[in-house]
Amino acid sequence: MRIGEWIDDRTGWGAAWQRFRALEVPHAGWRHTFGAILTYLFFLQVVLGILLASYYSPSATDAWASTVYINDRVTAGWLLRGLHHHGTSAMVIVVGLHVARMLWESVYRRPRELVWFSALVLGALVLAFAITGFPLPWDQDGYWGAKIRMGIIGTAPGGEFLVEFLKGGDDYGNLTLLRFYTLHVFVLPAVFVLFLFLHLSQHFRHAGSLAKRSGRPPSRYYPDQLWYDMLAITLVAAALLVTTVATHGAPLYAPAQPASGYIARPEWYFLSLFQLLRVFDGPLQIVATVLLPGALATTLVALPWLDPGTEATAYRARLVVPAAALVMAGIVTLSAIAVAQDRDDEVYQKNRKAAFKDADRARELAVEGVLPPGGEAVYFNDPQIVVRMLFAEQCETCHAIDGIGGEEAPDLTGYGSRKWLREVIRDPNAPSKYGHTRLDDMEAYPEDELPQPQLVAVVEYLVSLAGEDGGSTDAALVAKGKALFDDELDCNNCHEVEPHESGDGPNLFGRGSRAWIGRVIADSSADDLFGSDAEMPKYGSKLTKEEIELLAEFVYSQRDANQDENADEGSGDTTGNDSD
Amino acid sequence: MGVTAAALGPGLALVGYPFSHETTRGGRGFLPAGKLSRFKDGVPTKVDFFDDKIDAWNRIEHVKVGSAWVLRQDDNVVALSTVCPHVGCAIEYDEDHHKFYCPCHRSFFALDGACEDGPSPRALDELEVEEKEGVLQVRYARFRQGTSDKVEI
Repeated sequence: MRIGEWIDDRTGWGAAWQRFRALEVPHAGWRHTFGAILTYLFFLQVVLGILLASYYSPSATDAWASTVYINDRVTAGWLLRGLHHHGTSAMVIVVGLHVARMLWESVYRRPRELVWFSALVLGALVLAFAITGFPLPWDQDGYWGAKIRMGIIGTAPGGEFLVEFLKGGDDYGNLTLLRFYTLHVFVLPAVFVLFLFLHLSQHFRHAGSLAKRSGRPPSRYYPDQLWYDMLAITLVAAALLVTTVATHGAPLYAPAQPASGYIARPEWYFLSLFQLLRVFDGPLQIVATVLLPGALATTLVALPWLDPGTEATAYRARLVVPAAALVMAGIVTLSAIAVAQDRDDEVYQKNRKAAFKDADRARELAVEGVLPPGGEAVYFNDPQIVVRMLFAEQCETCHAIDGIGGEEAPDLTGYGSRKWLREVIRDPNAPSKYGHTRLDDMEAYPEDELPQPQLVAVVEYLVSLAGEDGGSTDAALVAKGKALFDDELDCNNCHEVEPHESGDGPNLFGRGSRAWIGRVIADSSADDLFGSDAEMPKYGSKLTKEEIELLAEFVYSQRDANQDENADEGSGDTTGNDSD
Repeated sequence: MGVTAAALGPGLALVGYPFSHETTRGGRGFLPAGKLSRFKDGVPTKVDFFDDKIDAWNRIEHVKVGSAWVLRQDDNVVALSTVCPHVGCAIEYDEDHHKFYCPCHRSFFALDGACEDGPSPRALDELEVEEKEGVLQVRYARFRQGTSDKVEI
């Protein structure tokens, strides 16, 4: 017994195969391939989705990190994710073509109303797939897109309830993401398959009768239409592959930051609605969100009754295609305007550039692995961020930088720069220097006591005391400054410069170097530093060595923060130090 | 059939759980915004608010939960939420024209938050402020979007 007979004997599938071979279509051709393309694309999306689901994790903490993992690390992850992303656009385009053909051929008329309704539902489901799928990476684009969409839905009647249901509570978080995911992966596919079954069964049921009515003999699906379908599917699949490769897959932005300023835009097929919202503002908003889309949807659903194809309504039949063309033109125009306005919008373009830079940085940092809080925690891999947070936690209460921070201790803006040093000598008890501390022994040196050129020389000497960390200095000026420091001004009466010697003021050996700053942070009350009057907490026992090093580096780097301000001032001085 | 129906009730209750229970928490109540001396007359400063956040089964410490534009007006300090009342984008400040604006749909607001142009249905949402020992405290809150009334959610 041959295999075919063996299977047929057990399953009875032979009869099903015969029925398939008997399937008729009114006529075969290219324009009847759209349905098959859509069916193919749907199942392609399902397969791609399953592949992606073996890596993607739908929690607010892991969504972004797992998406980066798929996109940037897993072999061909970028390609499969890209196909899934662009596959959506492909489906939207083909849905448009398919609906256009159905309108052209008045498919909505009796007896195929159900074919038409199910087609509309399937089209809407494709959009629902897009809306539930795009937030899943929980990146800036996905998060803000979802947030704005929820905001818009919330303005429609009954929208509040739907939004709260979708959000899973008051705020966006784990439950929101999971609800989108559950809809996208479980509910919508099931509903789609149900309606697809209805659509196809109704389509084939009436195909034969339609052909008979038109007087032409029907074609057979197999092999006539199937041949066109296979070719069309191949072409679309190839186009999808080429597009995905050319665009390097789907975009992926920085992790969702609820408190940031990301300017979101919907996917291209929603741009016309987006533009409508710009046009209809304030109380008219409902026109753009509910009335116009609602009117279009209602008209489409009502077409079987609006244009039943009878003699009495023959004139209406002639209106359908022009009306559809007009709507299409409107959609295209609105989309084009939206794109043009964005292209000319400097603020938007700047925000885009920043978003891409942000994305690159975040994805770069993600390679080391993202810490458990996930998402934004990727920035903790960036030592710059860590040190800023450390400074904010430990130092900011007393020390300010660039206007942010306390006033009880010296302002560290430009700390260690020649400008800062000039200021502290001119008036050590100024409020932005040691004025609010208990360290008040040093007197001020105004210009009449210390002329500017001399001050500049002394400062140059002080910079040189930092050794290598002081950077390049003018040797002649340093020598002049040292002479002033030791002899004329007697600074060394209070400030020693031999290592470990203590005096009435801090020993300035190595002052301003990273190591010296680190010592001050660890324990500023050391005898050779600020002594017993120092009020600064001893961080040597509170922070790790690495943290102190990081902070010292951060404070040290303040001298370069404002380059132009550190240039020399003063009468006719030609040293022109432009780098500290 | 009966068994299916029996599962339906609890099923609906499961799905509807967030309606009757708080699933997220954090970023409400008074949060520190920095020393009062930080805020200038006529020049808005953007302040970020940090709080511990509960997100369903997670607790995340010290997350940024929102921000506000804070500025002095006459003798008062005013805090305006950075969430645009239209659809929720982040409000920016235009230094050249001394106005707030929303880059998404181009609403413009005066320094006191009043909407001067664009699709926003109301002024920027003002947040309650309080002073405690020289530090400004702001009661961060969220409001319904797209309505002309300011409704806290």
